This record gives sequence, structure tokens and C-alpha cells, in this order.
Amino acid sequence: MSLLANLLLNAIVFAVLAFGGGLASAWYMIEAGSRLSTRSFGPWITWTTAGRPEADPYTRAHVFRNGLLPLSTTLELTFRSKTDSRGARLSSDCDYTLLIEDMAAWWNLAVFDGQSRLIPNPAERYAFNSTSAAPEADGRTSITVARDARPGNWLPSGRSSRIVLVFTVQDAALAAAVHDNGPPPAMPEIKRVACR
Amino acid sequence: MTTAAPAWPPQPPRWVRDVGWRTFAAAALTGGIVHICATFAAPLLGSGNAFQKLSDTLPLNAMVVLPPAAPGRQIVPFTPPDALYAMCRYELTGGPVSVTAVVADTGWVLSLHTPQGDNFYVMPRQLLRRDEVSFLVVPAGHSEQGRTTKVVSPTDTQVASPTSEGLIVLRAPLKGIAWQAETEAALRRSSCTQVKR
Repeated sequence: MSLLANLLLNAIVFAVLAFGGGLASAWYMIEAGSRLSTRSFGPWITWTTAGRPEADPYTRAHVFRNGLLPLSTTLELTFRSKTDSRGARLSSDCDYTLLIEDMAAWWNLAVFDGQSRLIPNPAERYAFNSTSAAPEADGRTSITVARDARPGNWLPSGRSSRIVLVFTVQDAALAAAVHDNGPPPAMPEIKRVACR
Repeated sequence: MTTAAPAWPPQPPRWVRDVGWRTFAAAALTGGIVHICATFAAPLLGSGNAFQKLSDTLPLNAMVVLPPAAPGRQIVPFTPPDALYAMCRYELTGGPVSVTAVVADTGWVLSLHTPQGDNFYVMPRQLLRRDEVSFLVVPAGHSEQGRTTKVVSPTDTQVASPTSEGLIVLRAPLKGIAWQAETEAALRRSSCTQVKR
């Protein structure tokens, strides 16, 4: 290989690794998160320092870039899920059920499309919270996420192909446990019922 | 006829062998620097944070009850959509801001945010003995005691804001559509006004 070709090869390898690798890794850490800034519980992911003044740079960039306005994770945690409990991508082509344990804390379950937008639906329902959902006799709450109307707590998923579920819990003790790597909280399982 | 055994350990392609180890080392070092710079620059390259987006719709130092979230009319991504929100964009260079808010029920939260999205003060319903809270927002490091010409109440708490501007957000979850008017009326009792020096 000639000297010129060798120089060119080294320059290309340098540029791809340095700039491509540096930018791609930063994008991944900011958008998807890693164990440095998030914790996962089954399909649910939460940014453990979101909203806090002492948040790490990845969390700050994530919040800032996505236009979020989270409450401090000393009080409230927001869990997001793009997959069901078996790891399959959430889709409005499928019906899902979630069983939320009887908790003293206030919670909210909302559904968004893949671009974090609310999904239009004739019922104009986009979420349930612990005061608006009807619980079962045992105190737990079952919510069905489906395109078409279902009995009970029906959360419409519309006709958006990809959907994201967001589960918000206002519980300072839970927030502290998650932040300090304490025992995993009882998160609702996202069970796929059927697909069309 | 015999076939040559494959070389072990396998050799990398020739072009990889032609790249010097110094190139890999320099690329790793530079990649780290690019990673750090990109992480800190990412907020500047985004389409706009929540504060910038809300600033266009919120008047200064006034509490505004926002219409309920709906497709195409979302307040902030991933916030609970089955809630009503009252917001105030405050600015402290002209004086502290007096805030009175009704935090009526479970799930209701009053929070203060910097333009960067830091939530430096939060007051949920369960920490309050009564459902109304009032305080003064003052610049950090500045006690406004004795400097204001108008004090709303002698018992007013002061909340120090690390930035001269920010957002006050009052979230009121809806128990159902039947509670919307009642919830909105409670939010309208909240206020945010500048106290002139």
C-alpha cells in the first residue's frame, strides 16, 4: 500500500471512530439511556434523576431535548414502556391488559403514540389515574389498552401503529428506593391478550 | 491431496493491520471528547425545551389555567393528560412574585421549575395541612425581608429561585369529566403576581 493510501485509510478510520462513535454513543446515552441514568423494571424504564437540580448530564440533555418538564424524582417517578412484558413492541394492533396493585400512592397510566403525542379517539380518553379508574373487589385495578371499546377500564390505543405506555407514581418512598437501588417496585405487567 | 489448515488465531483483514495503533488510540481519545461535547451541547441543538415552548403562550407573572390536553394540544410530552394545569411564567428582576395556590386533593402538586427543567421546589397535597398555600418566590441569595413595599402576609414563606425566571406549575388530576368545572374553579383561585419594590 502506498504511503498516500495508508494515510487516507488512517484518516478515514480515525474520523469514523472518533466522530461517528462519539456522536452515536452520546445520542444513545441521551435518548435510550443506560444504567448510569436509568433503571429498568421489566419493560418499564425510568430516568432516576429527572427533574432534580443534581441530575447527571445525560438526564439533563434527555429532559431538555425532549421538551419534558418532570417533577423531581424525589417525589414522583415516570416509567415508560415501549414493549410488553415479553419484550414485543407495543402496537395498537394488539390488546393489552395491565393489573395495577392496590397502592396508597396516586398513580396515572397514559398512552401515547410513537412520537409521544396523544392518540385521537372518540371516547376522548387518554389516561386513567388512581381516582378515575374503577378498582376490582380486591383493590387492584385492571386496565385494558385496546383499539376498540372493552368493558371496564378501557384505554383506547387508536390507530397509531406504535404506542408508548407511561406510568406515573407519586410516592416519595418508592422514589427513594428506586434512586438508591433498593428493592424493585411492583410494576404492572403488560400482558398481550390478542392481536389482529 | 491435503488442504492447508486455517491460521489460528484468525488474522484481522489486511486493511485493519495497515491502520496504526496510534490511529485507534487517537480515535478513542477524540471520540471521548466528542461524546462529552455532544452530551453538553445536545440541549442547545434540540427543537426547544419545555420552558421555551411554554414561554410563547404564557404571559409574564400571571397564573393561567390551560385548556385540557387533547391531540394536537398537548401541554408537555408525557405529562398526565387527564389533569388540568395552571401555569405561571415568572420573572424576578422587577421584584419577588407572590404565589397563592389551591392544592386540593390527592395527586395535586405545585412545582417550581428553572428554564432548564430543574424542579427545585415541589409541594404535593399530602404534605399540606390545608388546601391553600402561599409564598413569595425570591431570587436565590436575596432575602426580601424589609425590601418589599408590599408583603402579602406576615407568614408568607419565601422560596428561593436559583434563576431569575422560571415556571410555576399547578397540576390538578381529574377524577372524571364531571369534576372538570369544579377542578377548573379551584385552579382559578390560584394566583401569581409580582410584588413591586
